[in-house]
Amino acid sequence: MTSTSAVDEIVKSEYEHGFTTEIVSDTFPPGLNEDVVRAISARKGEPTFMTEWRLKAYRHWLTMTEPEWAAVHYPKIDFQSISYFSAPKRSEDAPKSLDEIDPILLETYQKLGIPLEEQKVLAGIAVDAVFDSVSVATTFRKSLAEAGVIFCSISEAVHDYSDLIKQHLGSVVPHTDNYYACLNAAVFSDGTFVYVPKGVRCPMELSTYFRINARNTGQFERTLIIAEEGAYVSYLEGCTAPQRDENQLHAAVVELIVMADAEIKYSTVQNWYPGDAQGKGGIYNFVTKRGDCRGDRAKISWTQVETGSAITWKYPSCLLRGEGAIGEFYSVAVTKGCQQADTGTKMIHIGKNTRSTIVSKGISAGKGQQTYRGLVRIGQRAEGARNHTQCDSLLIGDQCSANTVPYIEVKHPSANMEHEATTSKISDDQLFYCRSRGLTEEDAVSMIVNGFCKEVFNELPMEFAVEAQKLLSISLEGAVG
Amino acid sequence: MTGMISNGFSHWLTAAPDAHKQLFELELPTTKAEAWRYTSLKSLLEQNFTPAEDAANAIQSDDLNKILIPDLMSHRVVLINGRYVPELSALGDLPTGAQIGSLRAALASHSEMVRSQFNQYAFNSLFTALNTAGLNDGVAVLLNRAVVLKNPIELIHISIGANQPQVAQPRHLIVLGDGARATLIERYLSLDAAIYCTNAVIEIALGRDAVFRHERLQMESENAFHLTGLSLKQNANSHYLGVNIGLGARWSRTELVTNFAGEHAECDLQGLYLAGDGQLMDYHLDVTHAVPNCTSRENFRGILCGKGRAVFDGRVLVAKNAQKSDAAMSNNNLMLSEGAEVDTKPQLEINADDVKCSHGTTVGQIEPEKLFYLRSRGISAPLARRMLCLGFAGEIIHMLHEEVLRDYVAEHVGQRLEFSATGLS
Repeated sequence: MTSTSAVDEIVKSEYEHGFTTEIVSDTFPPGLNEDVVRAISARKGEPTFMTEWRLKAYRHWLTMTEPEWAAVHYPKIDFQSISYFSAPKRSEDAPKSLDEIDPILLETYQKLGIPLEEQKVLAGIAVDAVFDSVSVATTFRKSLAEAGVIFCSISEAVHDYSDLIKQHLGSVVPHTDNYYACLNAAVFSDGTFVYVPKGVRCPMELSTYFRINARNTGQFERTLIIAEEGAYVSYLEGCTAPQRDENQLHAAVVELIVMADAEIKYSTVQNWYPGDAQGKGGIYNFVTKRGDCRGDRAKISWTQVETGSAITWKYPSCLLRGEGAIGEFYSVAVTKGCQQADTGTKMIHIGKNTRSTIVSKGISAGKGQQTYRGLVRIGQRAEGARNHTQCDSLLIGDQCSANTVPYIEVKHPSANMEHEATTSKISDDQLFYCRSRGLTEEDAVSMIVNGFCKEVFNELPMEFAVEAQKLLSISLEGAVG
Repeated sequence: MTGMISNGFSHWLTAAPDAHKQLFELELPTTKAEAWRYTSLKSLLEQNFTPAEDAANAIQSDDLNKILIPDLMSHRVVLINGRYVPELSALGDLPTGAQIGSLRAALASHSEMVRSQFNQYAFNSLFTALNTAGLNDGVAVLLNRAVVLKNPIELIHISIGANQPQVAQPRHLIVLGDGARATLIERYLSLDAAIYCTNAVIEIALGRDAVFRHERLQMESENAFHLTGLSLKQNANSHYLGVNIGLGARWSRTELVTNFAGEHAECDLQGLYLAGDGQLMDYHLDVTHAVPNCTSRENFRGILCGKGRAVFDGRVLVAKNAQKSDAAMSNNNLMLSEGAEVDTKPQLEINADDVKCSHGTTVGQIEPEKLFYLRSRGISAPLARRMLCLGFAGEIIHMLHEEVLRDYVAEHVGQRLEFSATGLS
């Protein structure tokens, strides 16, 4: 039944979004030292406290060593060969509206299927599109402002809301947290800042599209989202990247702060360039994402669809401090070609009656390598804590691998913890059943895989769910198990 | 730690010099090492262990009667402080082709079979090296092709304390020829409350179609340290069933390592651990499906009370091309009291696509509905709890073959539950 040639075809299929927009970049020469850190800070006109904060992180970074525990393999990164700042040329006079945006840029978004104008009208989504490192398009700012929601680039926030930044930046992921988070703190270029005040339900879904464009430029995004008491916000993050040969490092940090009765829903579709059939090129995606449920009944929901990147190293986590706080993690990860992914989540139950749900679906095809690595910790005071974890792996082809490494630490007798994991392939019976009803092999596989991932797709906002399903079928077209 | 070796015996072994060398090369594992993440060696290292003294005369056959399980028919081997004691052993009638005896004697007599098999299967670790370098004695069980033992072999490890903490390092070598069948019951116990350490290493090699049932009862004293390193190599169509009951010792670590060398082999590892106040029970299971068509099962259940701690670290590795591997792992824990802790880490590493692998883990308590059901029928709360705990443990206890042994274990589990009843609210 296995059609190796079909699998090969997919593995060889060109990256759909592989194109480079010619645009003049204002890029630093490669290398990293204190002067570069200062220069980044100066270029962004940051106040002194930020410069100091970056330098502190940089100095700490020098004392750290690269983590090696993840089940991923790649040549050692030369951090001195990376350029740490790149801004589209027109960054100095930031555009006030879409009309002012470089038409080439807009064209790029069109190619990616992100028609800004259309989305404005149809989907009601405010888009803060990040082209390389500096935000160049921000829409719907006004209507958000009416609701009292702050949605802007983090560089703007550093200027305009420095008190909030001072108070919260690095409070969830401190610069000492890990190697890449520390590097990010030192050199982060830009990112998104969202602040939803007390009792406000954000009137629309917020979205940022990231796109790595300039050659040899590591992208160090930093996102900070704060939901005050009783607030709600849904945030969408979607990514694609153009094709190129050098490995690109992406070390982002996302911090979520959720107060009592508030909720943040964070959704990601990640489709960065995964490298070619030999595993050459592709993005290194080393991301630290963490949410802090500080108040009672606070809720964080992470949903991710990961189909891109050569290497993914990512563990969106929840600190469940408040009583009755809720953490959720829904993930679909696809590795094909030579992709490697070591991903999962951490649910740290600190408060009473905290609950968490983990649903992880891993699909491994070609020579893809995938590891689910998760931690569920139920602390000594987490009376009545509950966790349910399910991680399923689907293997397509005999060259791939799927690992499951869950850590479960329970220190309270009233805790209830369940963990299930399965590994399977698309069975011949399932295929036969579908085919006997007139479906092509390809449709049958797509249907089975979509069914396998349904629990996660259901959690995505509608527009994203459609995109995710499309991505998945493109990724796995013809890959019959 | 090197104080634990030297016994005037290791020069017999070609393996010993290597082991000595290894001792200096291998580092002491710390909690930074992944396999020792939840288990600290601190309390073990605080003791100043010396090699166990020969205490063969310390007990008489009358004392032994108190230890024996009535009505358990067996080929009995008694080891005191890791040394084979022929006077207390009762091997009974053995069929031709069956050889059971002191490993030390077998090695000394240059038994070609034993010498060629010794130290061939044991996995590499500091504690294995320590055992090899300082081993006292142990048992060699050799069954030729198609030899079937009707009665179980019973290995009774008795520790007798001295003024100073001692370490006994028994070593067993079990080789079953093609189609051979046997049952081994291992019991670890002590006659006093002295501080001591057992560092046992067991090597098992099963021939084609061999069937081996292995029941292990770790009931060391509450001050004991216990280490077991069990390596199992299974040839085609062989079947291994291990039942691991852990009730004793203050600090214990059991490592079970299985390698499939032939197709269609089956390995079934069952376990029950009960960790009470001040106890640490640490289990590491490592099953490697190196060849296709093998089946493995891991089913461990734990009861935690007082400030007991348990660690379960199971790993199933399916190698490339080991298609049609079937592996299922399950670890269920019952937490009865505050201050108890369980850390569990069931891992799967799958490198083939046509496999059936799953694992499940739970941590929970006695369900109030069940308790209510029993209480509404006039059963007192403590008794109801005990019944429910025994029911939970029963799944594993019932895997034991002999009824007398099942009763014996159930009774001890029951006693332990009563003992820790203060911890049950």
